[in-house]
Amino acid sequence: MKRISIDPITRLEGHGKIEIFLDDDGRVANCYFQVPELRGFEKFVEGMPIEEVPRVVSRICGV
Amino acid sequence: MTFEPKIVGILCNWCSYTGADLAGTSRIKYAPNVRVVRVMCSGRVDPTFVLKAFADGADGVLVAGCHPGDCHYIEGNYKTIRRIALLKKMLADYGIEPQRFRLEWVSAGEGDRWAQVVNSITEDVRKLGPAKIREFSASTLRAAGARSHKTA
Amino acid sequence: MAKLKLASYWAAACGGCDVAILDVHEKILDIAAAADIVFWPIATDFKYSDVEAMPDADIDVTLFHGAIRNSENEHLARLLRAKSKILVAFGSCAHIGGIPGLANLFSREDILKRVYLETPSTVNPEKITPDPRTAVPEGEITIPVFHDAVRPLNQVVEVDYYVPGCPPTPAQIWNVVQAIVSGQLPEKGSVVGASEKTQCDECTRKKQEKKISGFKRIATVQPDPDTCFLEQGFLCMGPVTRGGCDTRCQLSGVGCRGCYGPPPGVLDQGAKALSAITSVIESKEEADVQRIVDQIPDVLRSFNRFAIPASLITRKVL
Repeated sequence: MKRISIDPITRLEGHGKIEIFLDDDGRVANCYFQVPELRGFEKFVEGMPIEEVPRVVSRICGV
Repeated sequence: MTFEPKIVGILCNWCSYTGADLAGTSRIKYAPNVRVVRVMCSGRVDPTFVLKAFADGADGVLVAGCHPGDCHYIEGNYKTIRRIALLKKMLADYGIEPQRFRLEWVSAGEGDRWAQVVNSITEDVRKLGPAKIREFSASTLRAAGARSHKTA
Repeated sequence: MAKLKLASYWAAACGGCDVAILDVHEKILDIAAAADIVFWPIATDFKYSDVEAMPDADIDVTLFHGAIRNSENEHLARLLRAKSKILVAFGSCAHIGGIPGLANLFSREDILKRVYLETPSTVNPEKITPDPRTAVPEGEITIPVFHDAVRPLNQVVEVDYYVPGCPPTPAQIWNVVQAIVSGQLPEKGSVVGASEKTQCDECTRKKQEKKISGFKRIATVQPDPDTCFLEQGFLCMGPVTRGGCDTRCQLSGVGCRGCYGPPPGVLDQGAKALSAITSVIESKEEADVQRIVDQIPDVLRSFNRFAIPASLITRKVL
């Protein structure tokens, strides 16, 4: 079984990779999209004054 | 091995350091756990000093100065009051137990009080055990496969 | 003269630094004239395997943004260090940890639990959390290992230069590019593209004597547009933050939050901020001082928003 890795996915914001598996005839058997990225904004804004949150979560994506 | 707390004491020259001297010349026995650093005024104590002590392995930090109103530089220890109040909140945010850090007023005539303060913080820290701040940050970095830390 | 080989990479970042580079607008053509881009995920389609195939020290300059949050970030930091003559920690995250560094106040497990199991928008009845290795019928697929703590770039590899800012301003980026192209870079290890003085030095707000009788929050009180934030009782990290951004935040009506990092000689930005700001509280009574400092919510994240991983104590003790 042939495997094609697209690592990283480019020209977009963020990190991603795609693994494509081909069968013996060269057709796509299966394909996985993965996001190898986590920073944890959901956790680290907890307990922060509400007026400070916009200037923190704007760093989720700067594009 | 029993745990002996390492405590950094930052003392003002005019009151607390002289008070600690008096404890010595009066032959008062007290815990040997405080390593004394002398500064000219408790108002000189930058919160950086306290964080640095903890980061370098201190189990506790004691800041001592003249009683409010008695400062050799008139207003220095008022600055200490203001800084320490907020520093305690910052240390709490870092997960450092409040008993590990103290601000105390010890005059040049209070050798007995100095001995009592040292015994008291030493016992408090002994109950808590090692602070492990240095070890904890080092271990999380090791786990991350860090090389030796080099700062700018 | 041979063209420079230039790379730009994001680790744990938001992409804002890359966009800031593009914000030099038409000058990007001058950059393209002086340099060949050999790796830049946001704008070009080179893969990691292309970088791995390069000889060592083949890239002249790599602008590295983002903090080191996982094993992929660390691998790319080491890879790009080996492949680059000059490695630049570009932007707050690579320089001092940045916003992703706030995660150092929480445990790895609590972050994963919150993100994948607890958030109201999450539907995950099988309670699946990310595994570095997953067996699938066709073989094994992998994702990076999420580290225990966030580190700035210089805690992982040797860094040649630092460009601070979240993000660095396009004007400063242009200055840095010119210095690189003309070969006029300062001593290795220097902070470039920023001032040697603090924000207050370039802030145009009216400053008189600083005395703080109480702290206010912009959520509840409208600040005066022309007066120093601190003199009005609003937190501003200007006194402990390196200048160079033309005080973008202060001009936008909010106090500085410290993204340019500490000025020269300051070991711990948060501790120094605390020292500077509390010493001008207008009170001599312990109880009254306590009442005033209690008006500041969330002390550590307010005083050390960007630099916890580069501070004396790099993470919360858990």
